[in-house]
Amino acid sequence: MTAETQAALSLRGVRKSFGPVIAVAGIDLDIAAGKICGLIGPNGSGKSTLFDCCTGLVRPTAGQVLAGTTDITGWEMARIAREERLLRSFQKAVVFRALTAEENLILAGQMTAFRSLAATFSLGPLAHRRVQALRARAGELLERVGLAHMRHSKAGEMSFGQQKLLQFASMLMPEPRTILLDEPFAGINPVLIERIVENIRAVNREQGVTFVIVEHNIDVLSDLSHRLVVLSRGSILADGNPEDVIRDPRVVEAYLAG
Amino acid sequence: MPGIAIGGRYAAPQVAGGVLIAACLVLFPLVASSYQLSTLIVSMVFLLPAIGLNLILGYTGMLSLAQMGFFGVGGYTSALIAMHFGTPFWLNFVAACLVPALLAAPLAIPALRLRHTSFVMCTIAFVFIIESVSKNWVGLTRGDMGLSSVPRPRIGLWSDGFIVHTTVQYYYLGLLLCALAVAALVAIVRSPAGRYMIAIREDEILAASVGGRTWHYRLAAFVLSAAFAGAGGSYYVHYVTVISPTVFDPSYTNTVLVVVLGGGVGTIAGPILGSVVFVALSEALRIAPELRMVVYGLVLTTSVFAFPKGLIAPLTSALRGAVQPKARGPHDR
Amino acid sequence: MLQNLFTDGLVIGSVYALVSVGMTVILGVLGQINFAHGEYYMAGAFAAWWAIDRLGLSYMASIPLTILIVGILSLAIGYAVMQRLVDVSFDAGIIATLGVSLLLQNTATLIFGGTYQIFDGGWLEPMRVFGEDIAQQRVLIFLVTLVVFGALEWLVRKSTFGKQMRAVSQNVECCHVLGVDVRRVVLITFILGTTLAALSGVMTAPITINIYGAMGEAITLKSFAVIVMGGMGSIGGTLVAGWVLGIMESLVAAYVGLQFRDAVAFALLVMVLMWRPSGFFSTKARY
Ligand SMILES: Nc1ncnc2c1ncn2[C@@H]1O[C@H](COP(=O)(O)OP(=O)(O)OP(=O)(O)O)[C@@H](O)[C@H]1O
Ligand SMILES: [Mg+2]
Repeated sequence: MTAETQAALSLRGVRKSFGPVIAVAGIDLDIAAGKICGLIGPNGSGKSTLFDCCTGLVRPTAGQVLAGTTDITGWEMARIAREERLLRSFQKAVVFRALTAEENLILAGQMTAFRSLAATFSLGPLAHRRVQALRARAGELLERVGLAHMRHSKAGEMSFGQQKLLQFASMLMPEPRTILLDEPFAGINPVLIERIVENIRAVNREQGVTFVIVEHNIDVLSDLSHRLVVLSRGSILADGNPEDVIRDPRVVEAYLAG
Repeated sequence: MPGIAIGGRYAAPQVAGGVLIAACLVLFPLVASSYQLSTLIVSMVFLLPAIGLNLILGYTGMLSLAQMGFFGVGGYTSALIAMHFGTPFWLNFVAACLVPALLAAPLAIPALRLRHTSFVMCTIAFVFIIESVSKNWVGLTRGDMGLSSVPRPRIGLWSDGFIVHTTVQYYYLGLLLCALAVAALVAIVRSPAGRYMIAIREDEILAASVGGRTWHYRLAAFVLSAAFAGAGGSYYVHYVTVISPTVFDPSYTNTVLVVVLGGGVGTIAGPILGSVVFVALSEALRIAPELRMVVYGLVLTTSVFAFPKGLIAPLTSALRGAVQPKARGPHDR
Repeated sequence: MLQNLFTDGLVIGSVYALVSVGMTVILGVLGQINFAHGEYYMAGAFAAWWAIDRLGLSYMASIPLTILIVGILSLAIGYAVMQRLVDVSFDAGIIATLGVSLLLQNTATLIFGGTYQIFDGGWLEPMRVFGEDIAQQRVLIFLVTLVVFGALEWLVRKSTFGKQMRAVSQNVECCHVLGVDVRRVVLITFILGTTLAALSGVMTAPITINIYGAMGEAITLKSFAVIVMGGMGSIGGTLVAGWVLGIMESLVAAYVGLQFRDAVAFALLVMVLMWRPSGFFSTKARY
């Protein structure tokens, strides 16, 4: 990485083991701010666990995680989201099924609109105005991802692809700095994949949001990413230009063996 | 669900329905016998802790069986303050909300580390611990004998005022308290905090990933639910004018569960309906206590399979069908 | 004196273990806590009382009849309720079984009256064991418990049905694929677990003498403590935990005060939960 680009997210010797299983085996990685970084690897190679370590869902067994220059190791997930605007999506849990699309987005936006705990209990005119502002922003974002017609539908009643779109939109609500996406294209049709890809590009370009994307769809990912990192058994196997990385014989072998 | 479009406005039929029911309840003493009123008083006694259970179970997704423990603490608090200091009702009432809430906060610290069944068991243990204290702290609570001749509610600012003593007066007092409690619940669940609570109910990790301070909101739900229960205890103790460790009997906890689950958990109107149907009605029918518990058992078990959304769900869909045939609107559940 | 307390505790502990192990196997297979478990203990005591007092049967003959009656009862409840709890959330499971508990407990009170019944049966003559006089019934409880636990260990580890139980407890979806009839396994396990509670009830009634509709309530709560202490789903652990609870109760009753006896289970429960706050109920128990 060159000196002038700053890292949005840095891992310093991050390890995570579950009993005897070593999920992440000491990883050093700097994610350049404003870039899209793809992360691939066979099933069980530790990609999701790496995200868990970055976002505070699990505490690394060893090592440090930095968001920008802040050491966030050991922080709670909610605090990392609120204070560092480092957001992530999950492979399985997607949206709050009982809430409407709009409510999902308002909920995601609350972390910027209501800083203090006490403020969230208020129902006064100020709080009302803030929620209205979030509602308006939610409307725009739903428009943007093409879900405006489903604004008042319950998220649980939407198709899986629509839920993933909604999840993506909800991550844009709180003015994110860095977004970690865990398999955003899994199980959705090519048209919706294209729509999400376009939105990722646009958000990255217009707002300078940094993305780290875990995905098994290597074609789409290498096309989208500025950089591709390959994980195998918890360690980095290859790292670099997408075109170079996918031709790397070690990567091909890891996938075939994986 | 019928009640809440979080943050949004209530639909007109909901408001109209609410006003209509409120008007009926206010005018009910004009036509009702004092016995009928007393059955509704009993249902309001259970409605207050049920509102607390609804907040913690229906909106935050934590099954707490400690409600009647906090109800008892509220009752004892209210009674003791009134007996020792001759304070007016509002002060007893405020204390009866505060003391259980303050007790719930330290209890929550170990309890909130637990989830699922462990949490449920821990809340059962709390009631048992509270009951043991009430039995053994004889100097304060007079042990198993309990407290008797608790003063009737004195409505006044400080030293004098008017003493509530007729059934009609108790009825209106209960109605006022329940209206306040319902308003408080609506305010809580419609606030941004309420949105976080619902998110926790749906998926705690996902809620944290959108910046929700899940521990704090779970604590808030636990403490607030204790305050609602304490409110019920205060109203109860000044109505029956006695209290003893029998308030901690599991059958009362079961009654609160039936009110919430049978009525409709996670809805505003559900527990209100539940308290009328399952408490007032069975009082009015003078069903033997054991038979009533048999019915409650059936209600609990069948509610899981047959009507998980409670009695309120078919009622509201019928009403909605009548008012606006193709209803479509924001609902949270 | 101390030895006396110890044997007393061991016998009561065996009763707790016998009831709790039923809850443990049901939890293991179904993934649900049976809040009505103590009610089958109560049902066992009442069925035997009815057979002795009303039918004039001997205590010996009342035992198989009791198992039969409670077996039929739990067949009905297993069919109507428990089988449906396979893929239901934990709180729905608690509420459903709590409902069953209310139903059984109060039906018993309606049928047999709200007051105590006197249980007249069992072998209460003392016999000398290790220089101590102990009622034969107590010795019997202890021995039966050992036999039952041995048989259960065999059942779960070695038998075909035990393999199916383990399969269901680990992964319900896989069972569907593999052709294991989950509902059948759940039903049989439930009947097994509840009849063990009933057996415990009929064995204990001669010692406790008074039987009443709500007698199962305390047993359910103590079973929670036992299965949590026993490490959830471990059969051997349940036995040890039952004994620990029984012995601690009798020590506390003797040296601290009788009124604190029932608090022991709660104190232990809360302590164990705090010691291991996660992991007990979050996943299904394994054998
Ligand atoms: N909570 C856990 N307890 C024990 N082991 C775990 C846990 N979470 C992950 N693992 C193990 O860590 C390893 C890495 O898992 P992880 O989910 O990070 O892989 P992944 O790269 O995301 O795979 P996939 O592509 O299938 O999503 C696996 O061997 C997994 O079994
Ligand atoms: Mg993964």
